Amino acid sequence: MSTEERRALEQEFDALTARIGAIVPADRKAGVIACCEELRRMTALVHGPRSPAVEPANVYSLQPGARS
Amino acid sequence: MSTREELHELSIAEAGARLRAGTLTSTALTQHALDRIATLDPVLNAFILVTKERALADAERADRELKSGIDKGPMDGIPHALKDIYETAGIRTTCHSKLMLDHVPNEDGTAAAKLKAGGAVLLGKLATHEFALGGPSFDLPFPPARNPWNRDHFPGGSSSGSGVAVASGMVRAAMGSDTGGSIRTPAACCGIVGLKPTYGRVSRRGVFPLSYTLDHCGPLSWSVEDAALIMQVVSGYDPLDPASADVPVPDFVAELGRDLNGIKLAYPRSFFVGVDGISPEVIAGIDRAAEDLARLGATVDEIELPDFELFNACGRVILHAEAFAVHEENLAKRGGDYARLTYQRMMPGAILSAADLVQALRMRSELYAAVARVLVTHDAIVTVNGLAPAVRFDAFPPDGSLRTPGQTIPFNVTGHPALALPTGFAKTGLPVGLQIVGRPFDEPTVLRIGAAYESVAQWTTKRPQLELAMAG
Repeated sequence: MSTEERRALEQEFDALTARIGAIVPADRKAGVIACCEELRRMTALVHGPRSPAVEPANVYSLQPGARS
Repeated sequence: MSTREELHELSIAEAGARLRAGTLTSTALTQHALDRIATLDPVLNAFILVTKERALADAERADRELKSGIDKGPMDGIPHALKDIYETAGIRTTCHSKLMLDHVPNEDGTAAAKLKAGGAVLLGKLATHEFALGGPSFDLPFPPARNPWNRDHFPGGSSSGSGVAVASGMVRAAMGSDTGGSIRTPAACCGIVGLKPTYGRVSRRGVFPLSYTLDHCGPLSWSVEDAALIMQVVSGYDPLDPASADVPVPDFVAELGRDLNGIKLAYPRSFFVGVDGISPEVIAGIDRAAEDLARLGATVDEIELPDFELFNACGRVILHAEAFAVHEENLAKRGGDYARLTYQRMMPGAILSAADLVQALRMRSELYAAVARVLVTHDAIVTVNGLAPAVRFDAFPPDGSLRTPGQTIPFNVTGHPALALPTGFAKTGLPVGLQIVGRPFDEPTVLRIGAAYESVAQWTTKRPQLELAMAG
């Protein structure tokens, strides 16, 4: 993540936490932002293309597996 | 096997047989466990609270009832302990957090109630990572549990106290919870057995939530048979848990002892070989295990699974969205009361969007289907658990990270049952292990495979030399 991207992420985080009224202690902020960076990288992976048939109603169905 | 010093070596089945034969009392078994806790726990920190009076009262009741022919099942008179996110009536339940120090529930959660109804003896409440997420934190009201194989090392988490209490012989079985690996990771780090059952098999009611759709409750134990016996008591449909599955409870013990002839195992070696941070000793251990399983009669086929990073991303997005939803108000109003690591892991949930979560849920159905396809042609998947032996406490960076050195979260994403077992020891003397993943609600087959491997590998018979370590 570039410096600009990191700064933008921090601004986004500040706005979102302000919305819920959270005040992030200064000595914890760097660690929180580092974790935000990790989560943002993971988030990118879930936005890949997928079939329209894949939708979150009945996220998964646990049926006893059929034996071969 | 009659001296007090050896009572903690008795399996649940062996102890139960002696209780019923009248050659052992639950009171003696319980007093032995309490003495062992008093000796070992000051340096291992597995327990947040020891419920001595309750334990002795439970034991006396079990002795009285068993003597009069009242038998409540396989855990009757057997000591156990609960991760301190399990609500217990009249007994403080802290989630290892400053935020919950005064929380005394009015009633038991379902699993705790089932154990009580089954005559089990409650020894106390066990350490966890704060709210089952944070990490080994030193800025909480209670210290982190320490690995009995080497107290400078992490015991795994978040069911850290459960892993330590079992591995050190304070208790034969304990309940934990697993949202991304929190039963299986301490099982791997402590060299014991851990079962994350199928999602919906064991009620989550009265267990403090971390992530509603990823949380699973299950046991950590010395042996596969111990796990099967406690599962017999805690499993079953609970209409008060929205995720509980209305399926019959099988006999978890019936398949134990069978060979593996006719069993087909999928071995996704490419899933973990070449992954950053994997230890050659972990790979060697699981390769040896695959050979052992084949010698026991199983067919072992190398197969492919989707990239671990896809499972991890999917699981992490869901976990952090749901955990943030659970904790949002406290994070805003009492953020400073969370441990540093917990806070740093919880707060990033704020940046997730609704679209992020929906895309993760869509991906989840694809990943479930990929695992389910493998399990149409195979009875189980054998794969790694932790990528490396337990790290030292001082290896944790002061500023948090979301990374965990294991490959457990895929089966929280898919809900399949997964059994953790040791595969041996690294040169440092710390355990390494594997996991066996089965079809939904087919824990009996998973346990059968685990028991067969355990019987030849014998790793679960090795225990840390605590008294020697303490003397040193």
